[in-house]
Amino acid sequence: MPRYELALIVKAMQRPETAALLRRTVETLMERGAVVRGLENLGEKLLPYKISKHNERHTRGGYFLIDFHAAPGIVTGLLDHLERDIDVVRPTVLKNDPEPSNGPCCGPPVASKLQDTV
Amino acid sequence: MVGYLFSTLFFKKSIRELYSSLVDGGNATNWMSTAVKSHRRRLRQIASGSFLRRSKMFAVRSIRSLQFTFSQLGGTQQCLRSLSGSSNVVKKNDDMPLQMENPYKQPQKGCILCNITVDFKNVQLLSQFVSPHTGRVYGRHITGLCGKKQREIGKAIKKAHSMGFMSVTHKDPHFMKDPNICDIRHLE
Repeated sequence: MPRYELALIVKAMQRPETAALLRRTVETLMERGAVVRGLENLGEKLLPYKISKHNERHTRGGYFLIDFHAAPGIVTGLLDHLERDIDVVRPTVLKNDPEPSNGPCCGPPVASKLQDTV
Repeated sequence: MVGYLFSTLFFKKSIRELYSSLVDGGNATNWMSTAVKSHRRRLRQIASGSFLRRSKMFAVRSIRSLQFTFSQLGGTQQCLRSLSGSSNVVKKNDDMPLQMENPYKQPQKGCILCNITVDFKNVQLLSQFVSPHTGRVYGRHITGLCGKKQREIGKAIKKAHSMGFMSVTHKDPHFMKDPNICDIRHLE
């Protein structure tokens, strides 16, 4: 299964409400057959610009990252569900597959045979 | 064969020696060494260019004829070495340059983000490549990044904009005091 990352921006709420929101989000994920790897809290910050969502203008927000493995088919359904949640300001699902490192970065082109020919 | 030898007037001395040794029926090694020495001397002279006026072809032809005679008489590998180009003998040319890797080679310089992963979450890093006044992404001629990294930075900045991580129109005030990586001077 490919690996995804859900970058969730939630409304600035009290701790128990944020916890409840996270709980139901992860439960939704697990119901749809995703395997949740981990959850990171990036803190409550000032939003870079004011976001209008669910008839509210948000200035501050809580940032969370949820790492999970899931089938590609559930992503659209999941996003649809999160858009309907009134406590979520902006949900984004990204692919997070580890890329294989391709040799030396920022080097000259490998096939520089012009110098060798005399 | 003797007539063939006489036709090469070029190497009078060495041929004279040869003929004399043949007639005498002398020791093989004796006349061989002297003939080889003189032959080599002649070759060196030719290489230095003192016999330039004579046609090179004639010289080569005469050398080849000498080779032929030497090989016929069971000549050693040594005297055939300089011209035959036999692969099983290692050529030792003192004048030619040695093949080696460039000793003055500089280590390869990469761009500043050479081994650093670029992420949309790392807003501070992304903000370093953005104008503080307008929030516009700097071009390659200003950032000095290589193609791959410039593209990664550009994509990450756009991603951060759309996801609500980074501002579009300005640079976050907390990151204003960061060191200036880009090749641009801001008016105070």
